[in-house]
Parts: sequence; C-alpha cells; structure tokens
Amino acid sequence: MDWKQLWQILSAADNVPIIAMIPLLAFYIYLAGRQAFANDKLIADLSANPALAKTHHRRTWPFRPGWQKEVHVWPFLLRVEFLAAIIVTIILMVWSITLNAPLEEPANPNLTMNPAKAPWYFLGLQEMLVYFDPWIAGVVMPTLIIIGLMVIPYIDTNPLGSGYYTWKQRKFAISTFLFGFVILWVSMIFIGTFIRGPGWQWFWPGQTWDHNRLIYEVNRDLPDLLGITSNLWKGIFGAIVVGGYFVIGGLIVNGLFRRYNPKDYKRMSLLQYSIMMTFFLIMVALPIKILIRLLFHIKYLWITPWFNI
Amino acid sequence: MPDKPIPENDPIVTKSLAPHYVICMVVLMATLFWALWDEDFGQRPWKTFQHEWKSRYSAFLKTARTQSAQSQKEIENSPDYQKLKQDYEAASKSAESRINELRERLREVGAKILAVQDGPGHFTDRRAYVTAVTYDIETTASSSAKQGKQRDLDAYKAEPSTVEMPDGKVQTFKNFGELEEVYNDLKNERTQLSAELGELLKPVTEKKELMDSYLADHMVSLTSSQLLNLQNSVESLTPAIRQINVNEHAANLEREDSAQIVDRCESCHLGIREPVNLTAAAMSLPGKKPDEYARAFTSHPNRDLLRIHDSERFGCSPCHQGNGRATTSVEKAHGTYEHWLWPIFRAGNYEAGCQICHSADMVLVNNDVGWVIGEGKDLFRQRGCVGCHRYEGYDKEPEDLLSIAQEIKLLEQQKKDHLKQADDFMAQADKAATNEEANHLNDRAVALKVENSKVDLRIMQLDRTTKSLLQDMKKVGPNLKDVRLKLNKNWIPVWLKKPTDFRPTTKMPNFRLTDEQIRAISAFVWQSGLTDPPPKHKPGNAAHGKELFETRGCLACHSIGEGDQIEGGTFAANLTRVGEKANYDYLVRWVHNARERTRPYCPYEKKDIGPEDYKKKGVPFVFDLDHSKCPNDGHELQVQNMTVMPSLRLSETDAEDIASYLITLRKKSPSDYADASFMDDPQLKEQGKKWVRFFGCFGCHELSGLEDEGRIGTELTAEGSKPVERLDFALLTEVAERGGNEPIKDPEDLARLPEGPAKEPWYDHQGFFEHKLAEPNIWDQGKIFNDETEKLRMPNLHLTKEQIRALTTFLLGSQENPLPPSYQYKPLDYRKDIQEGWWVVKKYNCMGCHQLIPGQKTILMGLARYQDAQEQLPPKLLTEGARVDPQWLLRFLKNPALNDNDTNRNGIRSYLQVRMPTFSFSENELGKLVRFFQALSRQPFPYIPEEVPVLTAKETEMARSLFSSTAAPCLKCHATGDPVHDRTATAPNFLQARGRLKPDWMEQWMLDPQAISPGTSMPSGLFKRQDGHWVFSGPTPPSFQGYDKDHTKLLVDYILQLTAEEQRRVASGMGRSRAAVTPGPPVAAGSGGRGVSK
Repeated sequence: MDWKQLWQILSAADNVPIIAMIPLLAFYIYLAGRQAFANDKLIADLSANPALAKTHHRRTWPFRPGWQKEVHVWPFLLRVEFLAAIIVTIILMVWSITLNAPLEEPANPNLTMNPAKAPWYFLGLQEMLVYFDPWIAGVVMPTLIIIGLMVIPYIDTNPLGSGYYTWKQRKFAISTFLFGFVILWVSMIFIGTFIRGPGWQWFWPGQTWDHNRLIYEVNRDLPDLLGITSNLWKGIFGAIVVGGYFVIGGLIVNGLFRRYNPKDYKRMSLLQYSIMMTFFLIMVALPIKILIRLLFHIKYLWITPWFNI
Repeated sequence: MPDKPIPENDPIVTKSLAPHYVICMVVLMATLFWALWDEDFGQRPWKTFQHEWKSRYSAFLKTARTQSAQSQKEIENSPDYQKLKQDYEAASKSAESRINELRERLREVGAKILAVQDGPGHFTDRRAYVTAVTYDIETTASSSAKQGKQRDLDAYKAEPSTVEMPDGKVQTFKNFGELEEVYNDLKNERTQLSAELGELLKPVTEKKELMDSYLADHMVSLTSSQLLNLQNSVESLTPAIRQINVNEHAANLEREDSAQIVDRCESCHLGIREPVNLTAAAMSLPGKKPDEYARAFTSHPNRDLLRIHDSERFGCSPCHQGNGRATTSVEKAHGTYEHWLWPIFRAGNYEAGCQICHSADMVLVNNDVGWVIGEGKDLFRQRGCVGCHRYEGYDKEPEDLLSIAQEIKLLEQQKKDHLKQADDFMAQADKAATNEEANHLNDRAVALKVENSKVDLRIMQLDRTTKSLLQDMKKVGPNLKDVRLKLNKNWIPVWLKKPTDFRPTTKMPNFRLTDEQIRAISAFVWQSGLTDPPPKHKPGNAAHGKELFETRGCLACHSIGEGDQIEGGTFAANLTRVGEKANYDYLVRWVHNARERTRPYCPYEKKDIGPEDYKKKGVPFVFDLDHSKCPNDGHELQVQNMTVMPSLRLSETDAEDIASYLITLRKKSPSDYADASFMDDPQLKEQGKKWVRFFGCFGCHELSGLEDEGRIGTELTAEGSKPVERLDFALLTEVAERGGNEPIKDPEDLARLPEGPAKEPWYDHQGFFEHKLAEPNIWDQGKIFNDETEKLRMPNLHLTKEQIRALTTFLLGSQENPLPPSYQYKPLDYRKDIQEGWWVVKKYNCMGCHQLIPGQKTILMGLARYQDAQEQLPPKLLTEGARVDPQWLLRFLKNPALNDNDTNRNGIRSYLQVRMPTFSFSENELGKLVRFFQALSRQPFPYIPEEVPVLTAKETEMARSLFSSTAAPCLKCHATGDPVHDRTATAPNFLQARGRLKPDWMEQWMLDPQAISPGTSMPSGLFKRQDGHWVFSGPTPPSFQGYDKDHTKLLVDYILQLTAEEQRRVASGMGRSRAAVTPGPPVAAGSGGRGVSK
C-alpha cells in the first residue's frame, strides 16, 4: 500500500471537489431516501384512512391540531435558503483563501503532462474515450446526454410524486437517475480521478503511479476475433450486433417496463415511449461496453470508416 | 417513527433562526477579514520582508553612521582637508556680499512676476482667454463670423489691467500688449540675474565639491552624510514590488526574440545593490543567529560581476534561474517546487549561470582563477567527454572537415556546370543573329570562366583549411593502430579490466567489462593494429634520462609517483608504471617526436597508406607536414599522431636516455603478466569490433576501420534545458522524487557524490547529473537484462566530488539561451580573439608552464626543483602581446628553436633547461594564438613596427656607458653568445631584441619589471623620475650634462641597434672594468643580479 501516493492524490487541490462530492452525494441520497420512505408510509396511511387525509398537515407525524396544512414561501422557506447561502459563501471563501488555483508549469507543447487529466467534472467524458472513439465519446454521447436531459419533462407522464420525496410513486424515474448519474457519471469521474495514472493505466488505489510501469493488455475488435477481414463485412457485422442489441434489449426492456410499470406504459404515447426506450437503451449500452472492454478486452464491436462503436 | 417527542407547535412556523443567523454572520465577517488580511499579507510575504528590511537596515545604518562619523572627523582634521576647507570658506566669503545682493534682487523680481502673472484679469488669465479666442477664430468657417470675433478679441486686448505690485502700489497697464511686454521683461531680468548668480557661485561650489570628494576618497566606507541619505530613503520606503524587465523590446512583448523575463527578486532581496556591504551577521537581530530575513538582505557577494552585468538590464534570473515573477512564497520564487522547470542554482553550482551565455569562453574572467565552471569546461574536454557527446564548440574539427569536403564537392560540380554553360554560350554566340547579341553571349562565357578561376582559388583555400583541420584534430587517448608496436601484449587485458587499478589517475574510464568482452576487445585491438616494426634503438643512459625528464619540462603535463608522492601535472598520463606496458623502441620514437606516425591515414580512401602505395607511384615513403598529399589521389593525409604531446626537439640520444629511464619505471616485470595469446584468435576479432563499436572506443582512440564512426552519446549542448521528464531516471524515478533512499551503494561511488548520500528528493537536473557522474550505470539498477548491449554504456570516470560538482555546474548551465541576442556575449572584436585563443591555450596546456593570468599557478612553479631557482622557470606571458612583435611570435611558435639546423635548444632563453616544445601548430592555430596574445594586451593588430631613430656617435657613447654601467651591468645576467659567460646567464641575449621586442614595452620593462612580471630577476629602480624625464639612477658620465631626453629611450634605441661586435666589445670592456672597479653598493633594491625575487 503506497500511502504517500494515496495522500498525494487525495490532497491534490484539483481533487478537493470530488473528494467532497462523494460523501455529500452519499449523505443526500440517504436523506432523500429516508424522506421518501417516510412519505411512502404516510401515503399508505392516508389512503387507508380518508378522514385523516382531509385534515392532515404536511408532516409524517401524527395529527396535531393548530398546525397549518401549508406554509408560505416567505419567510419560512426563504429564510432557510438564505441561511444556506451564507454558509455556502463562508465555505467558498475559506476554500479560496486556503487553496490557491492549482497552476502548473508553463505549457510546453513538446512535453505534455502524464497523466494529462481534464478538470474533474470532465473526467467522466475523458474516461469514455477509453471505450469509444473520440467522435462517439466526445461528440455524440455528450450531445445525447444533453438532449436526453432535455426530453425528460416531455416523456414524463407520471402525474404523481412532484413536490415531495417518494419512492413508490416514481420507482422507474428514481432508479434510472441513480443509475445514470451515480453509477455511470460519478463512478467514471471517480475512476478518472483516482484510478487512472500515468499512461491512463488502471491503478488500484494505493498502487504506486509508476511512469515506467508496463502492462500486457491486447485489445481487439470483435470482428477480428471472429475472423472477419473484409471491411464491408465488418461494417455489416457490427451493424447487426448493434442492431441486435437494440432489438433484443428493446424487447427485454419493453417486457419489464410493461410488467412493472403498466400505468406509465399506458399513459405514454408511442413517440414518448420510443424516445424513452432509445435513450434508455443507449444509456444501458455504456456500462455494457465498459464491461466488454474491461473484462473481455474487446475494443470495438462495430467498425466503419466513419465511426467505431 | 420519531424518537423525539413531537413538538407542541409547528416548528417551521414558530422556531426562531436568529441564533443561526448570528453565528453565521459572525463567521462570515471573520472570513471577510481573513480574506482582507490574506490579500494584504498572506499572499504578499514580501511585504513582511520589506518591513523587516526597513527596521534592520536603518538600525544598521545608524550604527554605521556613528562609526563613519568618527573616521570622518579624523579625515576632516587632516591638514589637506583643512586647506580645502579654508579655500572654500575664503571663496564663499569673498563672493558673499554680491551673492546676497543678487539673491535680494531675484526675490524682488520674482515677487513682481508673481503679481503680474497670477490672479483674475492678470497676465496668465488674459493670455489664456486670448489664445482660446484665437483658436476659435482660426477654426471658424464663415468669414463674417471670423471678423466679428476678431473685433471682439481686439476689443478685449485693448482693455486695461490693474495690478497691485508687491510694494503695495497699484499699477495700471493700458492694454494686453503692454502687460505682456512688462511680463516678458521681468522674466528676462530674472534669467539674467540667475545666470550671474550661477557664475558667482561656480568657484564656491567647485571648492565644496573638492572638499566632499576628498572626504569620499579617503573614507573606507561611505561618509556619514551619504549614510544619512541612505537612511532617509530607507525610512521613507513604502512597500512595493520592485521589478526589472529583462527585455530588449519592452514595448513589444509579442516579439519572438523578447526574453519576457520579469524579475521581482529585489522585492525581498533588498540589500543586493545597496552601496554598503551587508552580511547576514550584520542584518541579524542583535544577539540572534542570522535568520531567513538576514540571509535575504545580504548584498551581492561579487560586485564586479554586477558591474559588468548591470542588474537593471539583466535582472537576476537570467544568471541564477528560479521564477523571477513569483512573489507568493520563497519556494515558488526560487523555483524549487515541482511545477517550475528551472530551479535556482544551488550553492556550489552558482556558476552554471555563466555557462548559459559564456559557453564559448574557456576562461571567464581575465584576472581570476579557480572558477568551478572553468574546471568543468576543462574536465569536459580533457576527460574526453567530447569523444562520445557532441557539444557545440568542442572538438569541432571532424564536423568542419566533413562540411568542407561537401563544399569542395559542390564547388567542383559548379565548375563543371560553368564550363558546360560557357560552351553553350559560345555555341549560341556562333549562331547569334546580331553582332551585339554574339558579343553579349561571349562576354557571359568569359565571365563564367573567370568565375571558375575564383572557384579554383576557393578550393585551394579550402584544401589549406583541411590541412589545418587535420593538424588540429586531436584525440584524447592514444592511437591504437600502434598498439602492437607500443604495448606489452599481456598487459592489455589487465588494463581493460579496470584501468584505475593500474593507474589511479588515468583519464581512461572504467567500462565494467566482462571477461568475455575484455577478451574480444583486446583481440580486436591487437589484430587491427599495424604490424610495421619501429626502428630499433640501443639502450640509453637512464640516469641522464631521469635528469632530462625532470628538467626539460615533462612534468608540466605528466606526473610521476603514486598517492601522496605524486608530482607533476594532471594534464597527461602518470608515468609511474609505464615500464610495465611500453615497448622501448616505440617509447624512443614517442619521446623524440610523439607526432610521428607509423603510416599516414588518408581520410578520402579511408585507409592507412603504406610504403607499398608510395612505391607504386614511385615516390619515397616520406610523409610529414610538408609532404602531406596522398600518393594515390592527392588528397590531404593525416600525417601526425592525433596527440597534443609536442616535440621537445631532443637529440636521438637524449630520447633514448629518457626512454631508458621510463622503462625502468615499473612495479613488476612486464613478463609477470599472464599470457594473453588468445588475442591472436581471429574468431574473437569480429566480436571485439562489435563491442568496440558499442562502447564507442573510437571517440578517444584512433582505431583501424573505425575512423569515421560518429559519437555514440547524446548531445549535451542544451542538456540543462531538457525537461526533467526527458532525463531517464528509470526505475529510480520514484526513489528520486521521494528522496532519502540513496540508491548508490558502492562506497567508492558514494564518496563521489558532492552532497553525500541523498536525504532530500533529488528528482531534478542536479540530482540526475551528480548521480549519473558518480555511478554512470545507476539507472540500470533493478532492471533485468537479456544481453549486455541493453545496459548503459557510459563508463565510470572515477571523478572526485569536486570534479563532479564542476561538471554538474557545467551541464546545468548548458542551456539554450533565453536572452535576447543583444544580451548575449558574442563579441566580434578583439574579445573574440581572446575567446578563440583560450581554446588553443587550454588545448595544449600552455598554462602548465606559463603564467597567463596574474595569480595563476603553473605546474612547474609547484615543483620542488624550482623553489630555489625561480629564474629557471619558463617566462610569464602576462604581457606577451605588448612585448613582442606578432610576426616574430608567429615565427617563434612555428619553431621555438628559431633555427632550422640547430634545433636541440631554446631559441630565446638558451639558459633555461626547460624546453619550449614545438607544437606543430596549424596555420589556423598559429593565427589564433598570435591574435590572442595581441588581443590579451589590447595591442592593435596588425602591428606596424616603430621606426627606431639612428643614434648619433655621442648618443651611442652615452648609451654604451649606461649599458655597461657598473651600477647596472646588463651583460652580467643577459646572455651574450659567449659559451663561458652564458653558462651563468639568466636572461636573453640583447641581439635578439631587434625584430622581437616592442620599444614601448622595453621602456616600461626597464622602469618597473616587477609590475610586468612579478618575481623576475630583472632589478627594479634602475631609473628615476627627474625634471619630467627618466634618468639613470646610477652615476652617469659627464657627457649626460644637459641631455634632457629619457635615458630609458636612449638605452632602448641602443639595444635595438646593438650589433654582435658592439656587444662583444662592451662585454670584454666590462670584464676589465669589473676587475678594476670594486663593486659598489647596488643602485636599487635588487640590482647586482637576480636579487628581487630571492
């Protein structure tokens, strides 16, 4: 265990946000979960007791006379928010006083740093470059992420669960978010920050980031593994594989969605449903591709002169 | 679910957040103040430095002032100062009344001017209105409006002004014109009065200045008023960044050649340029040890350097490196943190900064010796680093030869093209339509032919340069083509095993060879050697040989003895055990003339030319500098051994004697070496060649078939600017970055590290160079090899700590120059000649025998033999350029015997046993040396000899009496050519002065020889200054009555016209007079012989 190396990475000024983010993320997920489960219980209680539902206030505590059913934003919300703003200001000021901008040596185009890392918030994108070609990882995927986030309000037909924490009423939305953000995005940032060392090689935490390290790793394309040599056939083969994924994956997801989410399925139009399906399948494809690469050393599945997947 | 009891009232509505707000606001305000403090001091530590500076420096100045006031008082009491003071007082008194009168009038006029000028409706006010309106009129377009405005202006100008004058009277001026006139008159009056006052004050201020400068000149430190000025300026100091822009084009930062160096070092190092000398101790708090501040406030230790490199222009970081812009912490400013590429040079390596600009200067400072960087430069050259590593400027002959060969090829092609084109033109001319056109084409053909003859001449010139270059090209190690002639065969493998075991001080490094490699390499070297036998010699007289060896000057380069007993120079080999390895016959040839080759080498054919080649062409097998053309193809041959060892022009017998002596130097018999007949195994030869190529032996040695191999190492010209990532620390990268775990384990190598075993991280250039030099294969540590060829090749140079420090300094400074061209030292005048000359001087170790820099110790000076015989030392060359005629110097350097037949002697100082050798300098190096000596003495070049006036009979008689005076018997010490007399002579023959010495120098020499060559036997004080000219200090005959010219000049002219006959006459006369006259007391301190130095 190379404690010095570990400390150097953890204490680097660049990594402060990500170090802070990990516990904060865990804490807020826990907080939201606790609130959601409490609400779920309240919802169950209220639906069992319609009389209570008419009089009950907004808390999950038992009924108390005199408590208001609703409170005003001003001052009751804003005063807390303002307090939070002050605390954040304090944190930012202390942070900016104690840690200077992590500037490095004057740029030298003839000698790039190793590892050359993007700012922490882009490390997920940079990590994607390992699994896709730059055109896919750098252009297509980020665009799809943004569009995917933009379409959410238009395909979300679930009328429940807005304005309060709940799990039961929005199982699909919450788990998709947790998967896409925490599992995919945050863990890729984590990998990019703590796992990737010189030569963008995989170093387990505590392993020395040795610039001279050599590893044996041969990554091959799936068509090559199967002995396909012609470029045309490679393209056709890849299209079949990727197309197959979308067809088979689509059928599976469709089956699961209809089984566990029949209400949403009914509420959604065909356009909404197919958009949701497309983005969902693309999102799931990312970890699948990562696993194929890391576990089976397969570089690309679909090879064309224009892009590789 | 809730564990806590549920509150009675709704907490959202009823709970107060006031305490939260109070706490947060307090913390917020605290952070705000923290931010302000950080902005002002936290991020600006230099402010604290400046506050400290203010208090410590003014305290220092205060004490300095009291001390200075005391010594000032002493000076002020001196009669000289008192006289100056009286002068001053008298002058000021005599002018006092008039001065006061003038001052009074000036004050009056000044008051009047003020009255007329200031206030509403007075001059300035009205003039402003007039000019504004005039402008308005000028820019008005319509002429009617113009006229209207002009009328208004005229009316305004006609208005009167009333002014209250200083005496209280009110004066009225008719109009603006009158006001202006009065005003101008007053101003003129004031100017006149001021000028008059200035004239009056001038003698008074001059006297005052005399007084002050007398005081300043006689004070050791600054005067108390100067110190007071300093103190005032320190006390009024306000914290500010002090910045120097190192930039030729300060206004244009975008220019590519601008350095963009901004140094703020003086924001903390405030004492660097102070006029008083500040030490860390002086700047410490009373009774405390020097702290961080005290060390920062010291003044620059070498003010001379600062004077040459004006800090205002150069700043600090161009020499010292570090990050001149950084002001936030000491580490950042000094660049000693990971993200600054060029950390400040540390103690011991400071002089690396010199190398950045002065890489072409072998000697940096003309009056200083013992510079670390200078030692680094010498080591780099002498140890043969250049054999493997290219370095701009070092050992450039092979490259120059190559480019000349290419140029010749090009020119020959050009010649052919010209001829062809000329034929073309002629042919066209024949067919030309008009006469005019034909003539024109003819002219062009003729022009091309003329052009060709120019090309021919250029090729001839290049051939000569080639010859020079072949002569200049030297190798650090011996020629291994002669190995069979020269060496004890069985000794070779023993030597290769570890050269330092045989000869601890050798230049040959240890290559860590395996036994297999040794067998192969020695077999290759042996089998590729020439087999021609050297001529046989009879055994000589070893005892005489020993004497010759010790007296002829061999020890200036070679050393003898081991350990503490070592004596002599380190420039060439230690000869203590030479008898074990060398072959006697070869040794005789080598001592007689080391440059003598067995066979000449033809770089064109790439082979050694033997007698058979000469026989084929029917020419005798003779090759030397005059017969240097290849018999096969006419190209220049390498006719000399590429060694710097000169010829001492010894007779054959003397050479035999010395060789016989050397062969006795041994610890064991050559026959005790184990048999090495495997060296004849032809199978080993190819393998040996592979290893010789691998280790780059040809970098230092001449080897058959490997003459044109390139250098095997990396170029080091800009090694110091390589990013540290490009230096391969291999598996030790982490070790170096973390420090504390010294990887060098071998105790011998460990002892080489200048700083001892690493404690701190050493992942930087210095750490790399020091470790690499201490143990060159250190980066192999921990690696697994399949093959010997994968290992690092660099041999261990068995350097000492100091040598490693010097070489590290040299390499650290080997950088691309970041400064604009006008900052760099690339002289084109006499200083270039000095630059070039030092390369030659150092190449041949001239400084082993001659002193060229005052204070420099030669090797011979250190030998016990010369401690009581200083006059037997070779001459000092401190003023050689001013002393001798360059034409003569050229002749002398070519042939120091100054005689074509009788060469076994010194040309000038025949009385010296030590011998000026013949170096066989090329034309190129001869030129450089002659120009060097002229430039070193700042002599005009070319030299036009002075006309020596012909003396009249009377003058000759007078001069002769001086020349033969018993008070200064010149011929007692100076040689005369009479063998009996010359046995005891200790100075050159006067007959050689003509054509050799410059008259001005001779005169200077006679007046004060000690000032020119400290320690000389020539007596001082022979002449004294009398009535504005130099007269002989001893008794002069009556004929000198009324002679009002310099006696020195007379004597010089006489010596320059001296004939052998005249000298003989004087000498014989002196012999008689010496017998007749009892020797009187010496005229001067050291006259009557060798006195002064003894």
